[in-house]
Amino acid sequence: MRVALERPTVRVVGEERTVLEVRDAHFAYVRSRPVVRGVTIHASPGEVTMILGTSGSGKTTLLKLCKGLLVPQRGDVRVLGDEVAAPRRGRLDPRVAYIPQQLGLVRSLSAMENALVGALARVGTLPSLLRLMPEPEVRRARELLGRLGIGHKAEEPVHALSGGERQRVAIARALMQDPRVLLADEFISDLDPLTGAEIMSLVRDAAGEGVAVVMTTHEMDVVREHADHVVVLREGETSLDAHGVPDARAITEALRR
Amino acid sequence: MRPPRGSGRVLGVVLLVALLVSLADIGMLDLGRVVRGARNLGEFAAAMFPPDPSSLPTLAEAMVETIEIAFVGTAIGFALALPLALLASPVLFGPAVTGPVKLVLAGVRTVPSLFWAIVFVVAVGLGPAAGALGVALYSLGYLGKLLYETFDGVDPEVVEAVRSVGASRAQLARYAIVPEAANGVLAQLLFMFEYNVRASSIMGFVGAGGIGFYLLGYIQLLRYDLLLTALILTLAVVILIDRASALLRRTFLFPVSPPAPGE
Repeated sequence: MRVALERPTVRVVGEERTVLEVRDAHFAYVRSRPVVRGVTIHASPGEVTMILGTSGSGKTTLLKLCKGLLVPQRGDVRVLGDEVAAPRRGRLDPRVAYIPQQLGLVRSLSAMENALVGALARVGTLPSLLRLMPEPEVRRARELLGRLGIGHKAEEPVHALSGGERQRVAIARALMQDPRVLLADEFISDLDPLTGAEIMSLVRDAAGEGVAVVMTTHEMDVVREHADHVVVLREGETSLDAHGVPDARAITEALRR
Repeated sequence: MRPPRGSGRVLGVVLLVALLVSLADIGMLDLGRVVRGARNLGEFAAAMFPPDPSSLPTLAEAMVETIEIAFVGTAIGFALALPLALLASPVLFGPAVTGPVKLVLAGVRTVPSLFWAIVFVVAVGLGPAAGALGVALYSLGYLGKLLYETFDGVDPEVVEAVRSVGASRAQLARYAIVPEAANGVLAQLLFMFEYNVRASSIMGFVGAGGIGFYLLGYIQLLRYDLLLTALILTLAVVILIDRASALLRRTFLFPVSPPAPGE
């Protein structure tokens, strides 16, 4: 809310502010084979946007463009009005949290240390290199892990945790960033339905606090239960962009057409 | 692409001819010499038995010094190799930095530790310090390469995830690359130490300390029974260190493949 007031560049659509704005983004790893072709997406705070698509449709590439890990060859990606693309090997915007498909947790570090990674942008280089994290950050990470239900495993190394516990650690790391946008790639695909539902309710909580959640999935059940906004990608192009959940037939058609 | 038919046979003949020419050139086709050599070896072996344990206290002291040379050399080499390996990592730096660093590491690595020891004997005088420095420099070149290759192999998703929080390059090294590579780093460090214990045991050949001084001395004095004692001691220590590092690996390495999700 505060940020929106301070930044006049924020796009206003009726009452709804757009936090993440992808405009006509194009990207190709190999020049002759574009992976993302002219995608335009708006994601709003408090909403869960689900990006659907068959494998190879460009979902992961689109998320990496949103994070600034890849730079669009045409078009742009803005978060709260600022371009997210950073120079090669430069610092990326901490307001955009990104959870890759395999979570990207550091296996030899504890759940606590992985959560604290989310605070790195706020910690000076020297203390962070000495692993001297400020006390308030440590307190906050501990409290967050507790709220996510893994407080008792805070000191366990990540390689000793189960799949669902790791997902919670990844969420903790993301929330430590104070994100305005949370990007998650195929987030709960590997989980059993019960754990998946628990994790999704945590994601919903984050959205409830004003985060714009953007996640890719290929599971219709997940979309039906949790999406506020559905985008279907087909061969790198948007074939459907709908608020609310369209019926299954419309989605299937958009996936295949 | 399949090589043309019959080229395997041609290659075989060429290699065989090259082997025969080389054998003749280095004097190994001289039958009389081979027979004489075998007889000498027999005498050498006979003279080794029984091993004479009288020098064991002296040798034990020299063996401790050998291990110290290896330990100090590995430690200094590692301390220098770690930052250089990070500088050589393409995840953190562009080719303008990684290229020259890799070149320096390759240059250092080309020279064997025994030769570096000679250089340091000239520089700091006879004794184990020269040996340790020689070992350190060689370790720097070798470990540096092993480390940057390990860093290159770190899961790119972990690097992306930690970059994504807005971490600086130094933080990326500290929180993603080094801890993710911890397994490999430990394994290589142990390997390097084992290697250096063997390398240190001949440092004495050039006056750079350790048990090598006695090995060479016993050969020159034709005291093969004492030599055998020294060799047995070296073998025992090498096996012991091998076992100890296997134990360390089992204790400290974390499983590489994660258990199935949802477990």
